[in-house]
Parts: sequence; C-alpha cells; structure tokens
Amino acid sequence: MAECEEEVLVQRVVKDITNALKRNPSIDEIGVIPCPEARYNRSPIVLVENKLGVESWCVKFLLPYVHNKLLLYRQRKHWLDREALVDITCTVLLLNPDFTTAWNVRKELVQSGVLNPEKDLYLGQLALTKFPKSPETWIHRRWVLQQVLGQSSAGDRRRRQQQRDEADAERSQQLSEHLARTLHQEMKVCSDAACRYPSNYNAWSHRIWVLQHMARGNIKVFYDELSSMRLWVSMHVSDHSGFHYRQFLLKELVSELSQSTASSTSSPQHRSSSVSSSSPVPFHNHANGELSGGEGGEDEEERQLSFITVLQLFHQEMELISDLIQSFPGHETLWSHRRHVFFLWHQWRTDQQLSNDGGDSTLLSDREAGLHKGGAQGCAAQVGEGVNGQCPSEAMEVEGASLPDPRDSKRLKRGVHLPAPPSLPSEYTFISSVLDSCCPSEQRRFALSYRKWLDTVIVQQP
Amino acid sequence: MKLYSLSILHKGATKANLLKAAYDLSSFSFFQRSSVQEFMTFTSALIVERTSQGSRASVKEQEYLCHVYVRNDSLGAVVIADNEYPQRVCFTLLDKVLDEFSRQVDSIDWPSGSPETINYKALDIHLSKYQNPREADAMTKVQAELDETKIILHNTMESLLERGEKLDDLVAKSEHLGNQSKAFYKTARKQNSCCEIM
Repeated sequence: MAECEEEVLVQRVVKDITNALKRNPSIDEIGVIPCPEARYNRSPIVLVENKLGVESWCVKFLLPYVHNKLLLYRQRKHWLDREALVDITCTVLLLNPDFTTAWNVRKELVQSGVLNPEKDLYLGQLALTKFPKSPETWIHRRWVLQQVLGQSSAGDRRRRQQQRDEADAERSQQLSEHLARTLHQEMKVCSDAACRYPSNYNAWSHRIWVLQHMARGNIKVFYDELSSMRLWVSMHVSDHSGFHYRQFLLKELVSELSQSTASSTSSPQHRSSSVSSSSPVPFHNHANGELSGGEGGEDEEERQLSFITVLQLFHQEMELISDLIQSFPGHETLWSHRRHVFFLWHQWRTDQQLSNDGGDSTLLSDREAGLHKGGAQGCAAQVGEGVNGQCPSEAMEVEGASLPDPRDSKRLKRGVHLPAPPSLPSEYTFISSVLDSCCPSEQRRFALSYRKWLDTVIVQQP
Repeated sequence: MKLYSLSILHKGATKANLLKAAYDLSSFSFFQRSSVQEFMTFTSALIVERTSQGSRASVKEQEYLCHVYVRNDSLGAVVIADNEYPQRVCFTLLDKVLDEFSRQVDSIDWPSGSPETINYKALDIHLSKYQNPREADAMTKVQAELDETKIILHNTMESLLERGEKLDDLVAKSEHLGNQSKAFYKTARKQNSCCEIM
C-alpha cells in the first residue's frame, strides 16, 4: 500500500510545483519549510509573496522517488515523455541542483528545441536562492549562456547574408538589447548569490566568465562594474572572492587601456558579438578610445589620456584600500588586495618602461614626477628607478596634485598635475602609520607581513 | 557587514523582559525568517540574563557576534551582527540606544513592559542607519570613550551556561520559540553532526 500512496503523493507534489511555477512566473525564491509532520489534506507546496516553499516532511519521499525515476529513464528502463521530463527535472533540481544527470537531460531538451534556454536560466536562478554555491548549476548556466550567445551570433551571420532586409537594423538592435538584458540579469543573479553566501567563489568566477564572454573589450561595462563594486566591497571587507573580482576588473581595464596606448586603432568590428554599450555616454571620453582613435594627430593625446586614466585607477584603488584598512582593522583580505594591486601597478610600470625605452620621454618623465611625490615624503627605501635631472619644483607641483578632469583634453599638456600613483615609499609610509597607531595585534601582523613582502618581492626584483 | 537585530530588555531577578526589538532579516531565506527572528529574541534574552549589571560582553556563535551591554539600572540592550561588523561601533550603538530609551520611557514600565505597550519607535531607524557603520558617524569619535579591554569575550553560547545546563534543554523549554523554530533548531543540529540531503 505504501508504495502506491507514495506514488500518488509524489505525482501530486510534482504537479503542484509545476503548476505553481506556471501560474506565477514572478516566483523569485524557493525554500524548505521545517515541518516534521504532514498536515492532512494540505499540499506541502506553499506559495507566499512570490516565494515557493516545500514542507520538509515530503522531501524525504519526493527526492529519492524522482531521482530513481530519472535514473531509470537514463538507463532506458522506463519511458518518460518530454513534458514529464521537464516537470520531473524541475522538481529534482529545485531540491538538489547538483544532480548532474538532471541538468544533462535538460541540455538535451534545450538542444532538441523543446525547452527554451531562458527557462533554464530561470530555473537555475531559483535553485541558487536555496543553494547559492551549487557548482553544477553554475556550470549548466554557462552552457545555456553559450547556447544563447551561439544563437545570437548565428543571427549575426544570417543578417550579413541578407543585407537588403529592411527590418535588419531593427533586429540587430533588438539582438544587442537582448544581450545587454541577459548580461544585466546575470550580474544580478551573481550578486544575489554572493550576498547569500559569503566568499561565494562559484558566483564570482561565473561573473568573471560572463564578462569575458559577453562584454569582452567593452570598457564601459568594466567601468560600471568597478564603480558598482566599490560599495559592495566596502560592506564585505572579508570577502576574498569579491575582492578577487575587483582585481580582475582592474587588471582588464589596465590592460585594455594600455592596449589602446599601444595601438589606438582597435577595430570595433571584432567586438560585434559582445554587448555594445547601449547608451553612448562613457564614463570618460577616452573610455571608448576606438571611436576617435586612428586620426593621426589625436594619437598622442589619446595615449596621454589612457595613461592618466591608468594612473587614476591605481590612485583611487589605493585610496580605497587605505581607507578600508584604517576603518576596518584586522581583515587579511584587505591586505592581500593591497598586495595584489601594488603588484599589478609594479608590473604595469615595468612593462611601460620596457615599451617606452628610448621612445616617448614625455610619459616617462611624467611618471617620474609622480614617483617623486613618494620620494619627497621621505623613506630610506630606494625606488628601483633612476631618478635624475628632475627639478624639485616639478615634484612640488605634483605634491599638491588635484585630479585633472580628463574630459578636458585641451588642458592635457606636459607638466599638468597627475594623480599620485602608488609608490614604494608611500607604501612604507602607510605601513608605519598603521604600526604607529594602536591597532589590534592582527592588523600589526598583516602590516608586518606586507612590509616583508615588499622587501622580498618588489625591492629585490630589479 | 550586517546588523541583524537590535533589542532592548530589562534584566529581572531571574528573567530578561523584552521591551522593544528591531530586525533586519532580509539576508535570510524567506521561509526561515520567522524562526530566525524567534531565535534572535531567545538569544538576546538569554545573553542579558547571563550578563551581570554594569558589564559589556561579546558572544560569538557560529558566524554571528552578539554584543550586549547591561547597565547598572538593569536596562540592557543586545545587537546581533556578523563578524565583519566593527565591535566598537556596536557598543556605541548600544550606549546611544539605551540612553535615548531611558530618557523616553519611564523606568516604572521597564519590569513589566512589552513590545506592544512600550512607546519607543526609533529602534528600526537606528538599525537601518547603522547598517553602514561609516554613515553612522560613529567610526572615529567614540574610540577613546570605550575601554575595549573591559569587554568580556565568550567564544560560544555554551560558555554562558551554568554547569549541567544544556542549550538543547533551554531551547526545548523556551517560550520565545514556536514549534516550527524548535524543529528548525533540531534540523540545524542534525546538519552539523552528519551529512544529509536536506
């Protein structure tokens, strides 16, 4: 008798879940309600304020049953039609999203055109509200996104073939809008999961993947991300994964800007498959250097702009970290972020020096003027760079530097105030100021080990 | 960095009496919120009961930190935060809230009052304002006033209990907790001890 009853119960629950999702497309969270006993004649599926709840007592019947059914189907011992498959995988995955087989069944359904990929993105999003780390869900998500991207690039190709189609432009517009929406939605899913589970590496690395695949080279998107992450990291000062994402953004931005210094004529063509900035109001004018690039005379100005933007990025990042370290003492995450940013800066500077050797002396001396600032603050440490022939007045000029408005390119001539970039002396000064203040023992330890790192990794290296 | 609850209690001879509380449970999953809230009330009351007059303490429980201050006049307050939130700011908040409360609510009402009868509405505002410790302007100036060495630190809730007392028994007996919350507590305990699907 028990088996038969169970079967009826399970079928009913699967149906209830499916119907609830169908009838209410704005469900935005799932959860299990602790409830050890069944209350008779009441469905264990509860819907309150767009939240779907499953009473805990039924899970122990439900999960093994649907599991088995799906496995039997996979072993070809039991036939299920497509609709039943969609419903059953949906139930299984909401309760156990790391069941790879179920996601694989859905992959087949997507490929055969039965299932809309958007539906799967939604299902994954729901599952992540209860299991924010679930690796299989994130993996499946990337697969689905690739399908979506594949579809849109196929659309691109078709479009090129039928050049004369009049509705063409409109459709491509729709397409890029659709991609922008998907991108935005992914960012939302990621930050939601990151808030639900601290140091959610899976969510943050997914976010990186999304940017790499859907917004490659789009400086505007990267800028927006960097500025929206500012508040987030300030409120999650021990979230290593969040800071790692910030490091990724910084690195991409710096390398993108340096590329445009090297060759400011990057073709916008190869970016067509990624989301183009929908509103052409870039953060800084030079943020989309490719628009004005390649016009010979403006090259030089372009390079200076990019150069100053990089300095500004590093300057602002260092200011942010210093502020956070002083406001929230004793978090190792902040110190390792500082370490990473300084290393990035150090690397970039070395690269610039190599590529600029003998070439452009303007940028070089500008940078050295910036370094002077740190030197002026005084610390015995030697900067691994020959500073010569700089008159002190220029260093003083930088000393009281106010950030230039990069939008006003007319003012950008040699000798204009530059944002103070990080430097070894200023790092040592910061460390001693931390050590001098009465700080918790952990903060002391982190400061000392940062100093040791600077001594061994940066100073030793020529 | 998050504050979950802020409550004001009166420490009686044996029990603590809840006078007013504010919660921010938006980061918990929807169906757990009511249980979580009951647990925060239960915990706050327990901590005030076990803290002596005129002392401050911070109690660590899993990823949460409960900061308590019970004044010499038996009025106490508890804030439950995550472990990123600066401790000093928490105690500033407690001082401020207790100060304001004792000025607005007559001390005759403290021993017998309840959240329904007490007329003090600022708790929610304080809780939301202090979510960002920097905007609460408390980061720098109060530093000197608080002697941090005098704050008692407990590494678990268990260390508040007396000999032979068990948290499980206290949970089972508690009047702050409903049946669903007690079930919730049991599953949470089970989860810590062994791996299950749920």
